Amino acid sequence: MTTAAFVPPNVIPPFKQKFGPLLKRKWFRELVLLWPTLTRRRFSNKTEDYGVFKPSLVSHIGQLSIYVQDIGRSRAWYEQVAGLSHSRTCEREPHPSKEGWTVRCCYMSAKAHDECLVLIEQHDPAGKVAVPSGMSFFHFALEVEGNRLEDVLVFAEQQRATGFAINYGPVRHNSEPPLGDGETGGNVACYLYDPDWNNVEFCGAMDTIENYRARYGDKKGSERA
Amino acid sequence: MNTRTRIPVTNLQHHVFYVTDLERSKAFYTELFDLQFSALNHPDSSAAMRLSQQEMHFFSFGFHHHDICLVKHHKLRMDNNSMLHFSLVLRDKAAFNEVRSRALRMGLPMRKGRMLASAKPVARAFSVQDPDSHWIEIIEEH
Repeated sequence: MTTAAFVPPNVIPPFKQKFGPLLKRKWFRELVLLWPTLTRRRFSNKTEDYGVFKPSLVSHIGQLSIYVQDIGRSRAWYEQVAGLSHSRTCEREPHPSKEGWTVRCCYMSAKAHDECLVLIEQHDPAGKVAVPSGMSFFHFALEVEGNRLEDVLVFAEQQRATGFAINYGPVRHNSEPPLGDGETGGNVACYLYDPDWNNVEFCGAMDTIENYRARYGDKKGSERA
Repeated sequence: MNTRTRIPVTNLQHHVFYVTDLERSKAFYTELFDLQFSALNHPDSSAAMRLSQQEMHFFSFGFHHHDICLVKHHKLRMDNNSMLHFSLVLRDKAAFNEVRSRALRMGLPMRKGRMLASAKPVARAFSVQDPDSHWIEIIEEH
């Protein structure tokens, strides 16, 4: 479903994508980490090593604006795959940080998040649409309705059934079999590339501060092992 | 399994963006917003990071394990040509005043109002750039 001719350098090639499911196998993760293990550089990245017990000044992410080459194509993708709804598409306006450039903005809303995503065509002074580089962000994540493990699994199956390729997942970002890939956060996730090769995570069931408190109380660091 | 109605998403949950110097960016985001460092995935600790040649530092707003993550790619060069901005909504009026005071103390140039002229109005907003020139819009919603 990704059709842009330019492929950013951070995009996982199809051959490498085939190895993704192996990250759910502990033996494979141990194999990959053999060198830092042998050289004693290896350390734990487990979530339990760090505590999150103090609220910040931020409530939530309000909006993200990403560059696309074709608003119509991207809008259709986010409507079909993510179930986002089109809020409005505006006339060209001056680019806020590039003199002489203009942007055209398409505002997309999720069920519980008004205008959370802005799809932006960036026009150079000659009026030509710029090709997004893919190198400003690794991915962004949209929460799947229901926010449970099984919801993400059904979501992933629905994408596959309708011809949208998943580049990684579904996995759970912890070390628990059968879905755990050894990462952190506890979120269940699957990843798809949008038409401009922007990597989009669809997730649910992320660990929360309550999980930590229930599991570890006031224990910190190595006391939680 | 497929007979179930197609599942939509409900919200933008987290954002994972590239930086060039993890420690510099970590200092910036913790100093400006009190973000809580929640995890570190490194090529010497994570198989996925070793394969992708990346290092990720996770930060929480205080409830979820992570809300933003800073990523350093050890082979590729980041730029500002795939994202225009992201917005952080502050907890309340006092939080907005506090972040604005901190931004002034840090000597950050501030751009007043919404980042995009076509964005919906909010109570108050200004934008700053992080050490990698990513634009962050800071918002008091109501």
